Amino acid sequence: MKSKTAKIILAGEGGQGVQTIAKILSTTAADEGFEVSYIPSFGVEQRGSPSIAFLTISQGAICYPRFDKADLAVILQERAIFNVARYIVPETTVIFDSSTVSFDAVRAKRKFGIPATKLASENLALKSLNVLMVGALSRLLDLPAEKTWQTIVSVLSKKFKTEEIKERNHQIFLLGKDFELKEGNFTEATFVPQHGPIKTGGEGKEAIIAPDHCKSCGICIIKCPFGALSFGKKLGLLSSPIPEVDFKKCTACDTCSRFCPDGAIKIKKIIK
Amino acid sequence: MDNFSPKSWNQKSKPHFFCPGCGHAIALKQLGYAIDDLAIQQKTTIGIDIGCSLLVWDFFNIDTVQTHHGRTTPVMVGYKIAKPQRIALAYTGDGGAYAIGLQSLVHAAFRNNPVTVIVVNNENYAMTGGQLSPTTETGIKTTTSPSGKDLKFGPGFKGPELLHQIANEKSFIARGSISNPVQLKNLLIKAIKNQTDNNSFSFIEILSICPTNWKTDAEQSFERLKEMEKYYPIGEIK
Repeated sequence: MKSKTAKIILAGEGGQGVQTIAKILSTTAADEGFEVSYIPSFGVEQRGSPSIAFLTISQGAICYPRFDKADLAVILQERAIFNVARYIVPETTVIFDSSTVSFDAVRAKRKFGIPATKLASENLALKSLNVLMVGALSRLLDLPAEKTWQTIVSVLSKKFKTEEIKERNHQIFLLGKDFELKEGNFTEATFVPQHGPIKTGGEGKEAIIAPDHCKSCGICIIKCPFGALSFGKKLGLLSSPIPEVDFKKCTACDTCSRFCPDGAIKIKKIIK
Repeated sequence: MDNFSPKSWNQKSKPHFFCPGCGHAIALKQLGYAIDDLAIQQKTTIGIDIGCSLLVWDFFNIDTVQTHHGRTTPVMVGYKIAKPQRIALAYTGDGGAYAIGLQSLVHAAFRNNPVTVIVVNNENYAMTGGQLSPTTETGIKTTTSPSGKDLKFGPGFKGPELLHQIANEKSFIARGSISNPVQLKNLLIKAIKNQTDNNSFSFIEILSICPTNWKTDAEQSFERLKEMEKYYPIGEIK
């Protein structure tokens, strides 16, 4: 590590893997002989609410684990900016996921984008976002890559069910490690959730899906008696895919609407 | 956003804070439809418990009372005595109803107090991370029973059957499941009507899912719910 102390704040949404990133980084740094403090902070909800990790890695003793000014801020979701804005000062380096967070939304002097969601979902799956970010951050913090990977394997051993998944995660890790953080304009946030009701229609039926409410639980898909629903490409509230309707199979029976916990889907017949 | 969700839902608080795929929200949707059908939105008060059920505090455009853990039923009993014209619903989880709040619930049923108690049973303490609850069935793994629930902690707790033994014959006691929302809605309507028309106690247990703590996806959750329905029979308990 170059500097004596690194005060890091990681912010994202529950389910993105913010606490896993912090756990891996803190474990690796502790194994390397640094003093580490890690405080997770999240709400009563287990998924979909802001999730923040305060991480201090130091060469000397850490007197107090809380801090007011972060040296490094990692932002993985646009909604999380609100929660970390007060820790960002002119000296703070901000790393943000440029495929979900727009460049202008981050107010900082030194900011670097990494299209983490895009890289992760194109190369393996959205779930591997945290492995990618660990790769990028380990290089930034000068933690040895091999040690970091060993920690990932031990922390996520239950998730790596086969050797193939493990190997592909290693590739994602290396991809994150080798990603060049350049100052530039990352205004194109391609993986942003949709807003406003999406209306589609066909075969005399009309479907309205509200991406602002859809949490991609998949209950409508498994409960559809005709198999007319499947996950599409558009993204919903938690930056996860929302369902699409196959109007050839759909009979507008209203089962999906009856079950949807969030009131996000409605299919009706068009009465002429 | 019309026709998407019950009219009694508070659209300002949506998207709500329940996890993706939470059974609470499906149960609350049917409760919302029941309240819409009976047109009782203006004269209802919901008492809410600690746990995941507390997220109901701004879920409906309906007055709510936040009570102490397990004390939802007695608070609503007192409320009903003070305001007999209002409809009192007590919304709790299985921990609040069967563990810490059981004695209050038993005596409310015993005295035949005119309140409607709605218990959402998802077989664990979900908000604190999925610990063992009285309703967890034998052999189920939770964070506090990593090798499966031992029989020495008792089998799954059958609340409605217990209450049926001591409750007044005018009371209405039933068990519904979110896997059959239409039946659940009809049971909820019957339960609320039992309070208003018969001035008697009514109780509904709703079998629910918890994908976050069960660590299941949508399909596996409903498969496990099917297994639950074999142990906890659905329907009115007579």
